[in-house]
Amino acid sequence: MDTLDDLLEKLRGVLGTDGLLTGRAAGRIYARDASHMRLGAPLAVALPQNADEVAQVLCLCAGAAVPVVCRGTGTGLSGGALPPDGALVLSMARLDELGPVDSHSRTVFAGAGVLNARVTTHGHGAGLAFAPDPSSQHASTIGGNIAENAGGPHCLRHGVTRGHLRRLWWCDAAGESWVSGRGLACERGLDLVSLLCGSEGTLGVVTGADLALVPSGAAVQTLFAVFPDLGDAVQAVVGMAGSGLLPVAMEIVDRTMLLAVEEAFAFGFPTDVEAAMIVEFSGGAEEVAADAATAEKILLAGGASEVVLAADEDERRDLWRCRKKAFGAVGRLAPNYVTMDVVVPVGNLPRLVRDIQSIKEQYAVGLATAFHAGDGNLHPGVHFDDRDPEQTRRAHAAADAIIQRALDLDGSVTGEHGVGIEKLPVVSRMLDGVTAQLQEGIKGAFDPRGLLNPGKKLPARGTDYPEPKPAPSGLRVDWESLTVTTPANRPLAEVQAALMERALWIPVGAWLPRKEGNPGLARAGRIGEMVEQLLPCPGLGAWGTARDMILELWAETGDGRPFHAGAPVLKNVAGYSLPQALCGSGEVFVRTVAATFQVRPIPPAVGVWVCRPGAIPVGPSALGHLLDAVRSYRGAFPGAVVWYETDGENLRGDCVVMVPGRDTAWDLAVLNGRIRAAIAEAGCDCAHHEVTGFRESVERLEELGLQPDWAVSSATWTTLTALPGDRGHVIPGTSRGILYQLNPQVWWVPEAAASDSPWYADVVWENGRATPPAPPAAGVPLPLLEGIKRAFDPHGNLMTPQWLRS
Amino acid sequence: MTERPDPAALDLLLRRCVECGLCLPTCATWASTGNEVLSPRGRLVLMQDLLEPTGDGDPGALESFDRCIGCRACETACPSGVPFSLFEFGKELAAAARRKGAMPVDDPAVPSWLVGRLDRKPVLRALGALRPLAVGPRLRRLASSLPSAPGDDAELARLLDRLIGSRQEGAPRPADRDSATHAHGTGDVAIAFFTGCTGPSLMGATSRRLVDLLRHSGAAVRIPRGQDCCGALAGHTGRPQDREKLHARNGRAFAVQSKCDWIVVEAAGCGLELKGSGDFGPAAVLDATEALARLDLPALRPVPLKVAYHAACHLEHGQGVVGPPRELLRRIPALELVEPADPELCCGSGGVWSLEHPDLAADIGLRKAEALLGTGAQLVVTTNPGCLGQITSAVAALGAELPILPLSDLVWYAALG
Ligand SMILES: Cc1cc2nc3c(=O)[nH]c(=O)nc-3n(C[C@H](O)[C@H](O)[C@H](O)COP(=O)(O)OP(=O)(O)OC[C@H]3O[C@@H](n4cnc5c(N)ncnc54)[C@H](O)[C@@H]3O)c2cc1C
Repeated sequence: MDTLDDLLEKLRGVLGTDGLLTGRAAGRIYARDASHMRLGAPLAVALPQNADEVAQVLCLCAGAAVPVVCRGTGTGLSGGALPPDGALVLSMARLDELGPVDSHSRTVFAGAGVLNARVTTHGHGAGLAFAPDPSSQHASTIGGNIAENAGGPHCLRHGVTRGHLRRLWWCDAAGESWVSGRGLACERGLDLVSLLCGSEGTLGVVTGADLALVPSGAAVQTLFAVFPDLGDAVQAVVGMAGSGLLPVAMEIVDRTMLLAVEEAFAFGFPTDVEAAMIVEFSGGAEEVAADAATAEKILLAGGASEVVLAADEDERRDLWRCRKKAFGAVGRLAPNYVTMDVVVPVGNLPRLVRDIQSIKEQYAVGLATAFHAGDGNLHPGVHFDDRDPEQTRRAHAAADAIIQRALDLDGSVTGEHGVGIEKLPVVSRMLDGVTAQLQEGIKGAFDPRGLLNPGKKLPARGTDYPEPKPAPSGLRVDWESLTVTTPANRPLAEVQAALMERALWIPVGAWLPRKEGNPGLARAGRIGEMVEQLLPCPGLGAWGTARDMILELWAETGDGRPFHAGAPVLKNVAGYSLPQALCGSGEVFVRTVAATFQVRPIPPAVGVWVCRPGAIPVGPSALGHLLDAVRSYRGAFPGAVVWYETDGENLRGDCVVMVPGRDTAWDLAVLNGRIRAAIAEAGCDCAHHEVTGFRESVERLEELGLQPDWAVSSATWTTLTALPGDRGHVIPGTSRGILYQLNPQVWWVPEAAASDSPWYADVVWENGRATPPAPPAAGVPLPLLEGIKRAFDPHGNLMTPQWLRS
Repeated sequence: MTERPDPAALDLLLRRCVECGLCLPTCATWASTGNEVLSPRGRLVLMQDLLEPTGDGDPGALESFDRCIGCRACETACPSGVPFSLFEFGKELAAAARRKGAMPVDDPAVPSWLVGRLDRKPVLRALGALRPLAVGPRLRRLASSLPSAPGDDAELARLLDRLIGSRQEGAPRPADRDSATHAHGTGDVAIAFFTGCTGPSLMGATSRRLVDLLRHSGAAVRIPRGQDCCGALAGHTGRPQDREKLHARNGRAFAVQSKCDWIVVEAAGCGLELKGSGDFGPAAVLDATEALARLDLPALRPVPLKVAYHAACHLEHGQGVVGPPRELLRRIPALELVEPADPELCCGSGGVWSLEHPDLAADIGLRKAEALLGTGAQLVVTTNPGCLGQITSAVAALGAELPILPLSDLVWYAALG
């Protein structure tokens, strides 16, 4: 084995003297991060320039059995980037390549060291933004965001980092390079992207990613409300969640926090109030104005003493600066603090806030809180001065009491800051014995020698765990928190019907129950299948697949061990993301028992356009015009659908465009002009246009002679890897297509695409049964999948695809 | 020498840092290297080392302070109110170590004996005159980083006319611009003008135009005799006694102007030093842009150009003067004001810093030049001669063309040109 000096010499050979820091100054600085915790002193700090150097460093360290701790910019709050004694710190700061924005697929490549805010600045010209916007966005790296599955105010609408990753480039502990993800929003198979995201550098080192961008709203309105009572403010958030409005962000800071920020930046905000709230809407101009007006009424009725609308972009920016600088300003309140990151179902937020108040009084501690309120995620910070041991003890006891309270309220110990070393003592309260074993199995499959960020994320072996949370026996809807928990054997149609009573649904694109006993749904649409197969259905108004909506999973391993993973909350990074990773993995790793999903309002209205080719045959570009019109639309609801038929070359028969919206009056009217122009440009006629209700739109389709049934009962479904894009919009070898506007890349065609088509990916449904997942694309580590399979199904009792039989 | 901070007091200030890292992206040396030893948060950690009574600290720590440009962008970014002026102490220790040869240093662009003499007007003047003769990469680098601006008014007007394409006829000219009544201005405000070293030596015409502009804006302007360099350079090069002497000399020179309301400083770097150096009686020290923004400017004619404003760190972060320069530019009709990406990042000039750290300075300069070019602006304006020289040479190094002028020259053109 190499001596450490040999290792350093070789590293210097790879990185150059400038790329390897061994001095005392570097040792002291890189032993710290924003968590204020300490662990050990690093052997050295490596500053590679590119992915190739990263791989070489990992390979050399593996050879010398030296542990490696990856680092972005050290803004992490749980100590994830702290090196144990003798570890190499692998800084990703120099991997700052930012590729061109692909406005067609709405993606961009970013190196792991790119700062989050830079991605959004970069997309600005194309009207696109990177939705996850942690308050640290100007300073934290994309790699760090991925490793922590970071959230941010705007994740309320768009979801946390995981949902915005299309492809990951990463290296394993041995220095092998891999690519995971094929650029799709929905891809079957065990989802390695979901595992790597949120793994805190313990499974692999991310060197870069294809990020999905969202259109920045055509119009944005931001409300600032102040409340004489914090409890009222929190209750108003619950009210807003149940109102059917869809704010993009809902944030609160309490009085102490507000005072600290005012002292720092003198924004001129009132300081004689108990809570200040920011609520933001984004979308079509008129729709946004109407939503903001409704929200203002809800807030005033809920006890706000004043609600003002940001007058212009400058005021808006000040509001957000106030919120985003809040955390850093706590340095003004006390020399030390413990910041928590608890998250509870939104409906339980008022109770948690009340209990925190009593804990504060009971332990006589100073406390300031910032909330990602809409997500149910809050950061109470307990202040103390570590020169006073008694105060220090009380502060830590109060923090522990708050965390326990959040757990009692069905919450999680960490929504976005990660476990690191900080939450190791409490994360075990969220896992059961089997889940913990499975997490260790995953770690072992990725990093058998335990060299990547050792001692983080997972509790030490031998920790005691609570019993698994019992699986639900029946359907349970939490109307306040907007979640539904259901056993796996329930038909999706039944679950959707229950939710429909209050205009809600699981927005995964599965078609609605139209008639009694719809055969397609009855046969194909059980919740378990939806989870295991990412059930493909045309999805007017869909927000994603089951993987984007699942929060909690009860399942059994291949050898019959029941376990529970996740929590019924919108953000949770306690442990690896098992529910999301297993979602879509077929019946290969586990048997699904039950699951919890988030639910959302159904779109109140749907615009329908029927477009008829003129006398002369119209080529594929006609469809292109239509798709571009749909794609440029930035209404409140995603999930437009376009039906078309072709004879392989030209459009044949009618083409139907359906777009969900908030109401008949505004956003769809704006779109109407654009679609009509596009139809005319395509040389077609608009044979029919109407605005109708969500359910009615299904019937309209049928009257138009388009059978929505084939959505679920058709013989074969294919998921394509990419939108055909500029090459023309007709998929070779197919005659019918559907476009989901949810994400420009999600295409499902209801028949087999020619396998030589450049977009062909995966036949997922054949004769009413799911096909086994296709073998992973080249570049996916098979031994890793085998290792995970062994951890979940040691005796091979479950389905084992041919390619997984080693 | 700044006093060794009291460890207990310093400890309290250091504890204000919550280590959030929000300062990192605003620090040019971090942005250019990705090395946290060269970041504000890192330097705060190293401050503690310097306090250890045993000595002047670890060479790595000194090197980190040596490489700090002193732009104070971190102070603007810090939510916790850490006074990054703390770094001055570290920078002084580093400067002393540099003089003693007690620290590894980059190969400087010019010998250190010369760097220490750049605050002498004859030296600067000689360098300016020799500029066209500069041979060899080092001298060329020095020469190209010396600031310059169009020498005569007609040249300035030609440059801007050409950029605009055709001369814009707009507001009426003051009829009597050079008449005797305006020789010292008539106005209600009495100004004592601080010229600094580069003003008279390298950019005399710009100073003259600025004074002209102040007078036409209704101020009575005098240029006190006996004034000298502001002292910043002596501080940066580890000559604290010289710095004190210069402060005292300037104090005396300006004390004579007992009736002046404002002391107006042309260069942002000098302004920061003067504002921090102490007592000028009741007179307020103002940057030229602050003064102009408060005065009644002559009518301005349209300047239909896309103009990028490069905020000099010593003005924006050091003096906290953010609004006035932008406000002045917005007052010029038809002018489109733009700012580069990452506007808070320093251009890498930092007085003589760029001469002591030529490679790092060149890299930082390139980033700034790219950001400025990225705005699509036709002209860049700024308020510090150091920035002017640094950005000019960085733009040239990219093989691009983008004229850069003192902000006051552009206002002069709109008002009097
Ligand atoms: C003021 C402030 C506000 C914050 N606000 C938010 C917020 O609103 N939402 C939120 O989610 N978080 C927030 N955070 C926490 C923090 O910014 C995030 O966790 C961020 O994602 C960390 O990024 P980083 O680059 O600093 O990573 P680091 O802190 O350097 O590392 C964090 C973890 O990621 C791992 N890691 C880093 N890069 C890689 C990589 N390329 N591959 C594999 N592993 C890697 C490290 O090993 C470590 O475990 C805030 C922090 C601060 C200081």
